[in-house]
Order: sequence, then C-alpha cells, then structure tokens
Amino acid sequence: MAERCQHLDYRREGDGKAFEVARAYCTVADRFVQPVTADICNARYDLDPTEHCEIYLDHHGVDGEESAGGTSDSDSVGDGEDGRKGSDP
Amino acid sequence: MTYDDYLDGKPVVVTAALTGGIHGKEANPNLPETPEEIAEAAAACEAAGASVLHLHAREANGERAFSTERFQTVTDAVRAATDDVIVQHSTGGTGAPTELRAEPLRTDPAPDMASLDMGPMNRGQHLTSENTRATVAALHEEMRERGIKPEVEVFNDGHLNEVLAVADDLAAPPSITLILGPGTLSVPSPRSLLHLVDHLPEGAEFTTLGFGRHQLPLTTLSVLLGGHVRVGLEDNVYYRRGELAESNAQLVERAVRIVEEFGRPLATTDEAREILGV
Repeated sequence: MAERCQHLDYRREGDGKAFEVARAYCTVADRFVQPVTADICNARYDLDPTEHCEIYLDHHGVDGEESAGGTSDSDSVGDGEDGRKGSDP
Repeated sequence: MTYDDYLDGKPVVVTAALTGGIHGKEANPNLPETPEEIAEAAAACEAAGASVLHLHAREANGERAFSTERFQTVTDAVRAATDDVIVQHSTGGTGAPTELRAEPLRTDPAPDMASLDMGPMNRGQHLTSENTRATVAALHEEMRERGIKPEVEVFNDGHLNEVLAVADDLAAPPSITLILGPGTLSVPSPRSLLHLVDHLPEGAEFTTLGFGRHQLPLTTLSVLLGGHVRVGLEDNVYYRRGELAESNAQLVERAVRIVEEFGRPLATTDEAREILGV
C-alpha cells in the first residue's frame, strides 16, 4: 500500500496565499496543490505519489520524459499556457 | 437542436458549475468550497439567470468529497438558499472508485440530474479518469432506479459513439454536454463544436462547455446553434486573460447578456425542466 507523500505538508500560509483551514502544500514545488493532487499526495483511492505525481517523479529523477514545467497541477486539463482550467466536469 | 431553434427563439438553459473537484481556492480565492459558500453562490447564480446548478462537494480544507453525507450537506444548503433550481450532482472523480462516485446519487431527495461521463480522459502524464463502460452502466442504472436524469458528458467525439450505442436506453430527450478544451477533450474550436452538433443523437438537447478562454466564444456559438450553455468557476477561473473571475454569478451574468443580445429568451426553471426532460 502506498504511503502519504514525504513532501506533503498542511499549511495555512505559503506561496503568497493564506487560508482559514490548513491545506495541502507541496514542499518540493513550494506551493499549495490542487484538491485532486492532494488525493495523490495522501495516497487515497489507490493513487500513489511515487507513480502518479509528476512533481515527485521529476524531483526524484524517476520521470525521464518529464517536460519542463510539467507538474501534477498543470496537467492536461489544468492551467495551460492560455490560462485554461478544467475539472471532472 | 438546430440553427432553426435559434431563429425560432427557443429558450436557453444556463447551467452554472460552481465548484468542481480539481482546482480550488489556490487557483481562484473566489471559488466556493464550503456548503455555505456554495449555497451563497447558488443563490447569486439563480438570481443571475441560471436554472441548473452543477454541484460538487468538498471537505473543509477544500479537498474532494464524494460521500452522500457531504453531498447532502451541500445540496440541503443550496436548496434552502434558492427558490427553484434544477440540482445536478457530479459523479465525476478521477482516481476514485465507482462505488464512491455513486454516493452523490443517494441524497434525499435525489438530485434532479447527475453527470454521466461517457469515457476516459487523461489527466497529466500518469493519471486517467477511466470511466469504463462498466462504470458508466453502473452509474446509469442507479440513476434510472432513483429517477435521476443523466447529464451525459461527452469529452470528445469518440464519446458520441458511446452515447449513440446507449441512446435507446437514455430517457428522452438525451441531455448531452459537449466539452471542449485541452488534452483528450474535444479540440476547442468552432468547427469542432459544429462537428459534434452534427453527430448528436436524434432529438438530443445539447449544452456547450468550453474550458478557460474558450468558454466565451463557444458559449456564443452554442446560442447561435440552438444549444444551451454551461459556465462557472469549475470550468474557467478567469473573466478575461489575466483577470480572475470575481464570482460564478459574474460568469452567468455575462452568458445571460449574450443570450439576450442574440434574441433568445432565457429559460425559466420550469421551461428548463420541460426542455431537458427532468
């Protein structure tokens, strides 16, 4: 069973943002992560940060094909070059 | 639905997707996450002209929630804050098991509508929202048992094949949301939307959902093509390039202005129920 990511922290402040309730924060990317990414960080639903998180894979040199700037948070339906945002519609 | 529907002044149903399950306040601090915030946004969108509210639930820290209990809290708050809207629950959930994704169908009362994703969608380099045929069938069956109208979500034109394969099983008229954006979604362009509309099942009603900067032009085109529209912070956190949207209602208000400028009436909730077969 996958374990919670070693780079996950819960913070109320960081990355120039502040929240009333502590949120998932990636200490590698130095920013708050999207809620869907937090499920990967927490290894929920058979998700595994060592398999599914591009930040983790890039940081640990596992993902040789990772392109510059690619993270779990700026994925195929996330922020694009044109500011597109997406979801599980 | 055709251009004739535009010429005939068919009412437009505006759906507001308030919250979503992917990004949160880290992307736009105006995105509602708590039940109270979602209810407040719901009331504002209803006042602005939305007749369908597409809902997701969150935990207190903004993370995704799928439980019936959490959806119950959200839907109760929304129903209390609004006068008469069509409540639509999401069953989407990248990575989440089917059993968990069915929980939003089990609130009391059941939602009027619920999303039914017709196939897979890639997310980043290592994740796919699978939506196998077995998952689609299981969710659809539970919707039928509970009298919930499916909001059939078509991520790309291949998913239209999937819709056509089950069209006879869908409650009439099929209510289909055409989704255009990056990645494995339909290519976001006017020509792409025309192609999708040309291949809809007979008698289907369609709603256009364009991600990000595609939301405004494709909303406009949908109005011209006799379709309906979906806007909101789930799909687009910007009002214009580099400027975050102030609220869901701000996006609804813009869509309503477009609808009215082009001479189509805005559907009341009663009209929306009749048009969508809810």
